[in-house]
Amino acid sequence: MVETVITVSQLLKKYGDFTAVDGISFEVYAGEVFSLLGPNGAGKTTTVEILECLRTKTGGDVRVLGMDIDHQMRDIKRRIGVLPQDFNCFDLLTVRENIDYFGDMFDKRLPAEDLIKAVDLKDKEDELFKNLSGGLKQRTGVAVAMVNDPDIIFLDEPTTGLDPRARRDVWEVIRALKAKGKTVILTTHYMEEAEVLSDRVGIIDHGKFIAFGTPRDIVDKYGTGSRVIISKCDSVCIDLLKQQWPLGEYKENNVIIRLENKNALAEIIYTIDRSGGNYDQIQVTRPTLEDVFLRLTGRKIVEKGEENAQ
Amino acid sequence: MALKGEMKSFWRNKTSVFWTIAFPLLLILLFGAIFSGGGTTNVAIAVQDLNDTPASHAFLDALNHTNLVTMTMVDKNANIDQYIKDNSPTAVLIVPANFTAAFAPHAPNASAILQLRTDPTSQSTGIVMGLVGGISNQFNLQIANGGNKIVMSNSDITQKQFKFIDFFLPGVIALTSMTTTIFWMVSVMTRYRTNGIFKKLTTTPITRYEWLASQIIWQLIVVFISVTVIMLVGIVAFGMSLTLNWIAILTIILSSALFSSMGMILARYIKDEETASSAANAITFPMMFLSGIFFQLSSMPDWLQSIAHVLPLTYVGDALRDSMVYGNDAAAINNMLVVAVLAIFFFIAGVLMSKWKTE
Repeated sequence: MVETVITVSQLLKKYGDFTAVDGISFEVYAGEVFSLLGPNGAGKTTTVEILECLRTKTGGDVRVLGMDIDHQMRDIKRRIGVLPQDFNCFDLLTVRENIDYFGDMFDKRLPAEDLIKAVDLKDKEDELFKNLSGGLKQRTGVAVAMVNDPDIIFLDEPTTGLDPRARRDVWEVIRALKAKGKTVILTTHYMEEAEVLSDRVGIIDHGKFIAFGTPRDIVDKYGTGSRVIISKCDSVCIDLLKQQWPLGEYKENNVIIRLENKNALAEIIYTIDRSGGNYDQIQVTRPTLEDVFLRLTGRKIVEKGEENAQ
Repeated sequence: MALKGEMKSFWRNKTSVFWTIAFPLLLILLFGAIFSGGGTTNVAIAVQDLNDTPASHAFLDALNHTNLVTMTMVDKNANIDQYIKDNSPTAVLIVPANFTAAFAPHAPNASAILQLRTDPTSQSTGIVMGLVGGISNQFNLQIANGGNKIVMSNSDITQKQFKFIDFFLPGVIALTSMTTTIFWMVSVMTRYRTNGIFKKLTTTPITRYEWLASQIIWQLIVVFISVTVIMLVGIVAFGMSLTLNWIAILTIILSSALFSSMGMILARYIKDEETASSAANAITFPMMFLSGIFFQLSSMPDWLQSIAHVLPLTYVGDALRDSMVYGNDAAAINNMLVVAVLAIFFFIAGVLMSKWKTE
């Protein structure tokens, strides 16, 4: 039986008339990576900051590790680790010194040595924080968040603003956390990140969940089916495809066709072959959380998809 | 705990090291050199003793024994205004005829008004005022305590050889305890708030009180490093004779806490780090010049003096000068208590106002 470490019910957060979090409810299980996914301003950070005891809620009930967030703040803070959004450390302290600075605030802490190893910063441990690249700063932040050996680790947009390579390095660190049995709560607006890392995802928009579950379930439930992308087709090829699949997207010499049934792929390939035209490559893609979000929120690309459907 | 981190950050920041150590040092060396001139220059002072009794003689002897003044006695029947016109002295001291009467035990409410006329443009004005004021304080104190007023105070004063640097140095210490702490608190708190370090600190079990108190303790250490440097330079370069007694030390501690707290409050209203230092300047500059830490308050116009009386730094400077220069512990303790009350008030206000938790 899975252990529930966080219970949120009917969480409400208002700033004046503006409702940032609109009565959401969810549970987080021990040892999973749970992601809150959504665009900027959707309410992700507000939600996690309430769980981290950084903000006060307007309404609802929240329990973290069985404790009440209004009254057992200090006890909760002892057992959670937080990488806040736009994390920063002391510029003129080294990686190791920063870890020790925060480590000293807890009764029970892990040695800096182990943490540096865990985030793979062995060769940078004596570098001043200000001289680190964005990715290394975030990894230092994860190390600092782990300093009290927390049961739950909150990572608030850990990869925002990082280049793809640094992002992947942070992903590795998150995977390692999960492997250690830590519960990780991640917020991100990178759909791919949530999809690759999470056990379960809550897609949040305007303070409400619009989809919830494992990435696979969400895609299956709300996804629009797989698609074929044929790039750099010549005109002979495009003309023939247009006749048969008028609903496809034809942009310059690239073609995207949604696969409505199992035979569709074979039919498309047959058509291309028959036309004798040339193309660069054919790709089949599964829909992603990105597609789900765009479809569910009724924003730009979904509108286009609806045009195609007519 | 956190102090070790602050200490490392501090030493790695060349600017903060400069402001805490090199700046006060430069200030004493520079002003010390200007004020001490040839080193043995005395202030010429014309004295008219209208009282002319052993008591007034003892008072004037005490003044003379400081070796800082050269006294020229003016006949008690002479018209002092005419004398000034004829001789243009830098300073004139008139001991009133009721000098002895005021000290008499049967007249507790009587007071003798020493008239000190000085040239406000002269650099030595402050020194003369300080000297006369100090010796008067000493006399008053002895009287208040009912001891053997004249002899006691006489010997006390003669033991102390005042130098110009002695008057200046407590002011530099007061100034350092203010600028170091205000600048640190304002810039650090503004920086930590804007760059998210406060947010990170809030995620740990440490409370606001604990963290702010740790910052004040850290500032105390910095101020005392600074004070040590100032004292050493005073002693080594200028042969200064001042020492820190417990009142002075307590005053410095309270002053550091007071101005750190003021910095916290100020930081609350500042958006970014660039504004932080100008705001700190806006607060420290007027106090630097209006609190009488470099110039005697009595040489200022009345309206400026009344401003000085509401500035906290005035009390810090007075407490330090009273205890270190004049040895007037009673007055020093009074001033120190004012600093203590202000420190407590500002610390509480500072903690309450610098909120960590965002709405």
